[in-house]
Parts: sequence; structure tokens; C-alpha cells
Amino acid sequence: MSKLAPVDVAVVGAGLGGAAFCKRLSERAPHLRIVCLERGDWLGPQNMPAHRKDWQSAILGAWAASPNARLIAGEPSLSADYPIDDSDSPIKPLMWNGVGGSTINWAAHFPRLHPSDFKTKTLDGLGDDWPFTYFDLEPYYDRNDVEMGVAGLAGDPAYPPKPPRPMPPLPLGRAGATAARGFDSFGWHWWPVDAAINSVVYDGRAACNNCGPCLLGCPPRAKSSADVTHWPKALRAGVELRTNCVTQQIVVQGGRAVGVIYRDAEGREYEQPASFVVVACNGIGTARLLMASHIATDPALPLGRNLMFHPCAYARGMFKEELDGPRGPVGCSIYSHEFYETDLSRGFARGVQLQATRENALLLQALRLEPRWGREAHRLLREEFRHSVPMLVMVEDLPEAHNRVALTDEIESDGLPGVKIEYTLSEDSRKRLDFGLDRAEEVLRAAGAHRVVRVPLAPLTGWHLLGTARMGDDPKTSVTDARGRCHAVPNLIVADGSLFPTVGAVNPGSTIGALALKIADDLAGEVGRG
Amino acid sequence: MKPEFLSAVVDTLLPGDDALPTGTNAGVTAKLVEHLSSTATRDRDAYLAVLHAIAEKAGGEDVFALADEATRIAVIETVEKEMAGAFRSLTSLLLADYYEADSVLIAMGWRVEPPQPQGHSLPS
Ligand SMILES: Cc1cc2nc3c(=O)[nH]c(=O)nc-3n(C[C@H](O)[C@H](O)[C@H](O)COP(=O)(O)OP(=O)(O)OC[C@H]3O[C@@H](n4cnc5c(N)ncnc54)[C@H](O)[C@@H]3O)c2cc1C
Ligand code: SF4
Repeated sequence: MSKLAPVDVAVVGAGLGGAAFCKRLSERAPHLRIVCLERGDWLGPQNMPAHRKDWQSAILGAWAASPNARLIAGEPSLSADYPIDDSDSPIKPLMWNGVGGSTINWAAHFPRLHPSDFKTKTLDGLGDDWPFTYFDLEPYYDRNDVEMGVAGLAGDPAYPPKPPRPMPPLPLGRAGATAARGFDSFGWHWWPVDAAINSVVYDGRAACNNCGPCLLGCPPRAKSSADVTHWPKALRAGVELRTNCVTQQIVVQGGRAVGVIYRDAEGREYEQPASFVVVACNGIGTARLLMASHIATDPALPLGRNLMFHPCAYARGMFKEELDGPRGPVGCSIYSHEFYETDLSRGFARGVQLQATRENALLLQALRLEPRWGREAHRLLREEFRHSVPMLVMVEDLPEAHNRVALTDEIESDGLPGVKIEYTLSEDSRKRLDFGLDRAEEVLRAAGAHRVVRVPLAPLTGWHLLGTARMGDDPKTSVTDARGRCHAVPNLIVADGSLFPTVGAVNPGSTIGALALKIADDLAGEVGRG
Repeated sequence: MKPEFLSAVVDTLLPGDDALPTGTNAGVTAKLVEHLSSTATRDRDAYLAVLHAIAEKAGGEDVFALADEATRIAVIETVEKEMAGAFRSLTSLLLADYYEADSVLIAMGWRVEPPQPQGHSLPS
């Protein structure tokens, strides 16, 4: 193994958290030598299938959202995946492993947590409070919105006032306007989503042309993914990004991280000494690496535990009138936070997000029909295609120690121990889903749906991998402190979605980015400007 | 496997209707022949196992090809129950070829060009 020249900061993972952290730290402390190690590679528009005739079936192969599905498909992979044993989880983990991380194939719906999400223990006696408040994070949310580029409409009454959104909202389309009519008929809250998608040219990147399949990457670069938002600037600021480098271990001596060991594409091993090590490998990859490095692995400690996903269900309304079909950014239209805050008369605490999304490609719609073949399948598809509005019901998932990421006894081909997840849906999450499905169906019917089909729990929705290296003040119940520093190894910092003590009922990207900026500022404050 | 048999399987699964073409007319049977003849096809063994099971349950490839639609459906339903995973893989393959065919996209009122570069327009 070769030992390399020491650096100030070694960051592992070039996804959302890692990218935001690197960019911010390099601006705030330009004298630091920062190296980022990423297991995957860069991906250009030429690798994205939206230009190809066979674009629809890409989601069954190299562009499946699940790393396991991509590995099984066996096509030359663009994502540097590792298998995840998810047989003990009804929700399957989804991600992308490459520069930009899971923002490569994300939908870019960009809501913030609510202030109440930071203090569920105090307000509802559930979960844990975050070690800071919404208002402590607010300046970083604001900064992150500008850095990512957010299209939206200020004035959403579900939130404390936000600054004017950097871009006007995305078009509602006929499907969004139809769903809005449904919410209006009950006087329920709805608002155009905050989307990390360009509605106009922004930051040198094109505007969205409503092509549809955002989960297949965005060739015009209208969708903000960390490879196009943060990385070009971080590189210009001097950060060194080493791709196809799988970190094998964080080296700890005398209670301090002294560097990392990684393996490059040719299988050569290097030791990279560093004064600080930052881990941003997502809610599964971070726990895996820390456990593989024997850090905080005492079973009494929460590393790997409290895995949260945001369980999701769907109600899909069929309408007589022609709607948009698979046009427009698939995850971003309107949402409702009418049922977001606790109301115990519903029979549970905490809440639900209802999100009117846009439709999937024709093939995907055909593949999820029951029956899948024969005349009835044709009839159902013709009734549905260009005539449906999907409503995603996303609910709060609370931390439960038995929901976890653990290592297996195998060593995988990437050199790291195998990883498995164990997850059961809680009774309260089930209640939230059922409540949300009832409301979604009411909205769709009020908007004119003549038929509503429900998916009570959608398995391929493990988009959000959160909570497995949680922040907190108490070293017995948390892995890191409020600054992302590991209690056990203070110069080892976590800067990704693993940190969330609780997760609210909204997509986490906006909060992960804000958190990474806050953690970077904190480190910059400590090391000074040089 | 005989083309008449493969065509009968495909057209039972994808019968078409007054606007939609049959699977064979959309080119799915021809593509299935290509998939089966290439050793590089992932899940080829599973596809072949399902097709053999259909032929066997029906009493032979010719018997299946000449049977009426209700009989063909009944045979396929039995195989679907007995070989759920492999059957699902086969239908995924066939549905992908079908719903990516120009004639089917047009019949569904969609365009044949991919999403990029022209995108779509949407009312705001
Ligand atoms: C299909 C899909 C849709 C989504 N839609 C939305 C949405 O609409 N809104 C939203 O807010 N969120 C969405 N998400 C979730 C969002 O993308 C993630 O929450 C976010 O990207 C997580 O950021 P992260 O920094 O924690 O990890 P990631 O962005 O996943 O980055 C982790 C990085 O670490 C690298 N890595 C892992 N292990 C190692 C190792 N050992 N050595 C080196 N590198 C390593 C990986 O390759 C990866 O690049 C979606 C996710 C998916 C998959
Ligand atoms: S819909 Fe817009 S954001 Fe999504 S991939 Fe197409 S151009 Fe990009």
C-alpha cells in the first residue's frame, strides 16, 4: 500500500452532502488541501438515455433506481454499485453511486423540514429533538437554495417566510391544475413545490423543457444535481476529486482519525493521511464504512440504527378528460401540507405530505398494471394513459432502533463487508399512510376522478436513507454532536443524510444540503482562513 | 421454437384491440426470436423455461398455436401461477418491446421521438 502526502481534509463520497461540504469549505478556507474520494465516476449527458429510442426500458436496466436491480440487470454500469441485502425490508433502498450521488437520479423535489420537525420530542413526546432549530438552519437553507437553484413561489403559508425563490415556479400542467381543484374544493392547503430544477436559465444551465423522465438523468442539466451545481465550483476552488476510489477504512489512532485507506480502479490500495476525515456516503454507505472501520460499533450505540425512509403510498385518479401523461418533471408539481402537523384526533401524531406528481413513461405504467397482459391490460392502460393524476402519500417515519443497517459476514467485490437492512413498517406509519390515502382519494374524486386505484405501500420508494449516524448531545444516544463530529472520534465528521435525528414527512435533499453547508462553516470557523 | 407458437404466445399476452396492434404486428415476436437466439440475453433460460412449460401444458407447440383464445389464456394463467418470477421477467421483456414500438406509441396517442432534445410543452 502506498502512503500519500497528507492533506487537511479527506472527504468520502461526492454526493449531495459531500459536494455541498467541499464547495463551501473550499470557499471559506481556501488554504486547506481538500481531497474527495468517490467510488463512482462522472456521468455526462451522452450517458443518459433520454435521447434514445429505447429510453423507456433503461429504467429496467442500467438506470433502475435500485442498485440491486442495476446489478442484477448486469448491463455495463454507470453507477458503482454494491449489493444491499434488502430481503428483510418491505421498502427497497434506492440510490446512485457516482459523482453527484443520488442527485443524479433524484426527482429534485426540494421542500424544507418544518420548524416542528426539529422538536418532535418536545412537542409530541416522540423521536428526538434535533440539537438545533429550524431557525439555526434557516440561513443555510437560504444559501443552499441559491446554490442549487430553486424554482418556486414565495409565500407558502405552511412555512415561516422564505426569501423570494431564485426562479419562478415550474408549470402546473393540466394534471397539477386538476389536483389543485381537488384541494380547493375542501379549502385545503396546496402550493407549487419548491423544485431544484431550472424554470428559466440559471447559473449557466438551461431551463427544463418538460421532457419528463428526471430519474434517467437530465441531459440539458436543468435539474440540479451535485455534479453540475457544486462540483464545478468546488473543483475551481481547488478541491481534488478522485473518482473510482472506494474508501475501505477510516484509520483511527489514539481516538483520532489519521486518514483513510482507499482502493482505486486498478485495485491498488493507498493510505491518504488527513487531519480531518469527512464521511458523506449516504444513510447506508456511511454506516457501512464506519462499521467496517470499527468505529462506534458498541451494540449499545446507535450507529446503523434508526434507519428511516419515509414510507410512501400512492392513490392514482383516472379522469375522463385528457391530462398531461408523462410530460413535465416527474416529481415536481404541487403538494399539500394540510395534514403535516400533529392533530391527535386523527389517531396518530406527526403527519403526512400529499404530493401530486406527474406520470411515468408508458412502459412503466404498463408494467405496474394488474393484470399485466391480455385484453383487460390494454383496456386499463388506455383508460389511464394521459388521463391520470398520481398522488404520492409520504409520511413521517420515526426513529426505531430495530430498523437498521448492519454488516453481513461476506466481503463484497468492492473490498468492504456486505451490508443488509432490516426494517419494519410501524403501526403509526401504517395509520399515517391510510389516513393520507383516504385524503388523497377524496381530493382526486373531488377533482373529478371516476376511478381511484391505491397502492397501500410502494416498495420501490426507498429514496431517502436517513438517520443511521444521528446527531445529538448525548453520546449514548447519538453518533455525532450537533456539528457532525463523531462523539467517539472528534475529528471524524459526518455530512450527509445519516445525521437526521428525525425526518419529518418531506424529501430530505434541501435539508442535507443545508446541513452540509452548516457543518462546513463550522469546520472553517475552527481552522480559520489560514 | 416454431414461429407460429411464439407468435401465438405473444399475441395472447398482447392481443391488441381496435387501435392497438397485436404483439406480432408490433414486431415483438421477431424481437423475441432475436432475444432467444442470443446467448447474451439475460434471463434467456427463464424465458425458455416459461415457453417450454406453455408448450408442454398445451400438449405441444402446434396445439397451443391452433387453440382458441380462451384455451391459450387458461394455459398461460396456469404457467403464470407455477412460475411467477420467470413469467414476470418474460412479460417485462415483451412489454418493453411492445410499448417502445413506434406503432404502439402512435396508437396510444404518443410521439415516437424520445423525450430529448425537444422536450414537451405544458400549460402553466
Ligand atoms: C430515484 C431517487 C429520487 C429521489 N428524489 C428526491 C427528491 O425528489 N427530493 C429529495 O429531496 N430527495 C430525493 N432523493 C434522495 C436524495 O437524492 C438523497 O437523499 C441525497 O442525494 C442523499 O445525499 P447524501 O449526501 O446523503 O448521499 P448521496 O447523494 O447518495 O451520496 C453518497 C455518495 O457516496 C459515495 N460512496 C458511498 N460509499 C463510498 C465509499 N466507500 N467510498 C467512496 N465513495 C462512496 C456514493 O458513490 C455516492 O456518490 C431521491 C433519491 C433517489 C435515488
Ligand atoms: S423534465 Fe426537465 S428537469 Fe426533468 S429531465 Fe427533463 S429537462 Fe431535466
